Amino acid sequence: MSGQTQSIAFDKASREKAADILAMWVFIGSEAMLFGAIFLVFLIAHMNYGAAFAAASKHLSLRLGTLNTAILITSSFTMALAHMYSADGRWRAAIWSLAATSLLGLGFLAVKAVEYSKEFSDGLAPVLGAPFSYTGPDPVHAEFFFGLYFAMTFLHALHLIAGILAIAGVLALWSHANPAGRARRIQAVGLYWHFVDIVWVFLFPILYLINRG
Amino acid sequence: MGEIRKLSFAYAGLLTLLGLTVGSSFVDLGGFNSAINLAIAAAKTAVIALSFMHLTSKGLPRLVVAAVGLWLVILFGLTLVGQ
Repeated sequence: MSGQTQSIAFDKASREKAADILAMWVFIGSEAMLFGAIFLVFLIAHMNYGAAFAAASKHLSLRLGTLNTAILITSSFTMALAHMYSADGRWRAAIWSLAATSLLGLGFLAVKAVEYSKEFSDGLAPVLGAPFSYTGPDPVHAEFFFGLYFAMTFLHALHLIAGILAIAGVLALWSHANPAGRARRIQAVGLYWHFVDIVWVFLFPILYLINRG
Repeated sequence: MGEIRKLSFAYAGLLTLLGLTVGSSFVDLGGFNSAINLAIAAAKTAVIALSFMHLTSKGLPRLVVAAVGLWLVILFGLTLVGQ
């Protein structure tokens, strides 16, 4: 068994795997604190300027937001499949699942880019010095909403890009890792990917679904 | 094949919850829309954590999640108390 460990710090592959998973969860915990603080800022702002936020939220594309949620949920499913296949030693299926996951991630980013470009051309993007020409009620706090929208979705998109790069890294180093190492890397990237999915699961309703009725 | 069936159920459940949350937002439920949306988001999180992230297995990851939950409660709790 000792030949299966990547690091000499571990006597058994199972202990190395347990340490890997624990470290990923601690990292995810620190990420949860980062996003938690930003969600809290949004919550307080929403409590104070609810009407302005609800009116501004209607300018986001519910159709594209829903599509992107479905894409990200599907990518989490294919990532879970990759983990399952790697645990069974079905490496070809695992590679295809990882490739599908990263392609779905790129699809999410493409849809997000379409949304951003529409918001920029509609004058709803108070970022990067772009003109902000909002015609609804309370434009000052609507601008706050769109500022938070761009900050939160862009931070999320950066995390997704990091996830895609991590998958690319796992595939690029595929032949350099032993089977146990591959399975551990897929599990670690998978945990991160699912966390990024969970962040979107909360971003979607708070940004897109304020009083649609 | 038991595993793939479990994952497929979880996937179908997540898409159903997505349909529910989008559908509920078109019905005016007074102040309850946000509460329902957040409850559905929490349910989706539970499905992802339990089936995709394998949080069912006992051990240290659950302790980490509990610690993060505690700190988030402190963060949100102390801030909202001052509101």
